[in-house]
Amino acid sequence: MSDYLRSYLTVGIFGLVGVALVGVFLGLGRILRPDHPNLAKNEAYESGVEPTGDMWSQANIRYYVFALLFVMFDVEAVFIFPWAARLEAYEVFGLIEMAIFIFILLLGLIYAWRKGVLKWV
Amino acid sequence: MLAALAAEVGDFVRPPIDWHAAAPELTLLAFGVLLTLMDIVWLERGRKWAPALASIGLLATMVPIITLAVDGADRSMFGGAFVVDKYALIMKAVFILAGYIVVLISSNYISEGDYWENEYYGLLLSSILGMILMASARDLITIFIALELLSIPAYMLATWRKRDLKSNEAGLKYYLMGVFASAILLYGMSLLYGASGTTLLVDLNESISASDSPSAIVVMGIIFVIVGFAFKVSAVPFHTWAPDTYEGAPTPVTAFLSVASKAAGFVALMNMLFVGFIGRDDVYEPMIFALAAVSMTVGNLIALRQTNIVRMLAYSGVAQAGYMLAPLAVASDVPDSALAATVSYLVIYAVMNLGAFAVVIAVARKTRSAEIDDYRGLFHYAPGLTVAMTIFLFALAGIPPLGGWWAKFRIMGAVIEANTVSGVVLGVFVAVNSVIALYYYARIGAKMWADEAPDGDLTPVRVPASLKSALVLTVAATIVFGVLPGLVGDVTKVSLLAGVGG
Repeated sequence: MSDYLRSYLTVGIFGLVGVALVGVFLGLGRILRPDHPNLAKNEAYESGVEPTGDMWSQANIRYYVFALLFVMFDVEAVFIFPWAARLEAYEVFGLIEMAIFIFILLLGLIYAWRKGVLKWV
Repeated sequence: MLAALAAEVGDFVRPPIDWHAAAPELTLLAFGVLLTLMDIVWLERGRKWAPALASIGLLATMVPIITLAVDGADRSMFGGAFVVDKYALIMKAVFILAGYIVVLISSNYISEGDYWENEYYGLLLSSILGMILMASARDLITIFIALELLSIPAYMLATWRKRDLKSNEAGLKYYLMGVFASAILLYGMSLLYGASGTTLLVDLNESISASDSPSAIVVMGIIFVIVGFAFKVSAVPFHTWAPDTYEGAPTPVTAFLSVASKAAGFVALMNMLFVGFIGRDDVYEPMIFALAAVSMTVGNLIALRQTNIVRMLAYSGVAQAGYMLAPLAVASDVPDSALAATVSYLVIYAVMNLGAFAVVIAVARKTRSAEIDDYRGLFHYAPGLTVAMTIFLFALAGIPPLGGWWAKFRIMGAVIEANTVSGVVLGVFVAVNSVIALYYYARIGAKMWADEAPDGDLTPVRVPASLKSALVLTVAATIVFGVLPGLVGDVTKVSLLAGVGG
């Protein structure tokens, strides 16, 4: 076996030990603890607000558009942070490049705005 | 912490940019932005200009491609990650012209169906942008970016008939399979990067072909990469999305997927095989051999039993992908003729398949269906369309003197020239499959010419001008490529091995 694969063996053993540890502790707890369930105890938040409704509630589909727009700016940020750290070296060239990049992304936002996507009807 | 990292990297040197080499991509990008701007400013009033602006954009992109071809010099940027050579220029021209014909056959379909129009052409242009970028990509990351840029708009285009369940199914299946393939591809690429430490295809080849026998990681990497692209070109056993997607998607989009998207998959595959893997032919050649042989046979056999013409064309497309893969299985023995054979097949296939879909769209304007039985008696009320369809079908079957004949001849020439057992076996496969394929192509021909029209309905098909011009262009090209094969032969005398890396 090559060194490369051997180092994956370590990862595998580590994972197995992790799973085994969780199993052992949960199993020990189950054997040792007293078991007297009642209604109040089984609630998700024993001392919190009374839960209402079903757990399968639907989220409004309109949030989806906002999630998409968020992803747009998220990706933008990923590119802007390293660029900003090195802006001095990139000089005017970098500035223009980033301006073009942001312009194209901004076009997407203006498009969404113009099409009335941002309105909460 | 970022500043500390940056200090270690050293001074930033601006990469020299050859604006002429990047001009096709930049032109197309500019027109895509223009299309979006027009939508923002004019909203619905811009609708009728969208197809015009898209086709102007595509034709404008041809200008730098032609000037680059006239100039003739091989150009290379970003350390060899972006290469403009003759092969790249031919493929770019194919994508642009195929895109132009798709715009021609879409314009009436999209506006009469009351679908979103500005967005349709915007997405079409960005998908084509990914394709022309793919033709120049010689680097794992560039290839992946180009692949995603061409795929993601295509997923959306497949669902364009938003309120039609079949179209939703088409898009969803295409999306899920496509993303799955991308994941496999990316995993393969990561393995190759791990084994070689470079993303540049030229360096990758040098690194993985250094030893006599490949390491397990390299084998896995190559297999995963080929599987990823096999989805894109719909080779058996990775073809399962194709028939459902083709049937459900709007027909112009189907034409686009079956021609441009498939060609893009082949371009990527050829870049990988001829530049990145060429020294490891012991790994990829058996795999490509199996894919080619199985794709041809299974595609043709299933096509025999189809009753819907779009599904039939989908399976025929699977078989055609098999033909195009065949020369790649002898890529290391006769690299130049193998590459030229596949490139010429792609060029000719693009023309004849787009033409066949144009006829399907034209006929569906009257019959509202794509069932083969509805083509009965077509000759009695649409003789022009019948002649065109017959030309495309016989071209696809490979009957001289139409274009498809020359394409198949090149394929046969390459596999025989290799003079290896696998090459000769593939030659036999191609020959036998051509005969099987002739049956289902000719069956439609017989229905069109000999049968009576259903219900004796002889109202003629009204073909709008843009669709008509697409038909004229494709018919002319199919015949010219068949009668003057030297034309394609001269153009496609390309080599990926020389001038790479520059």
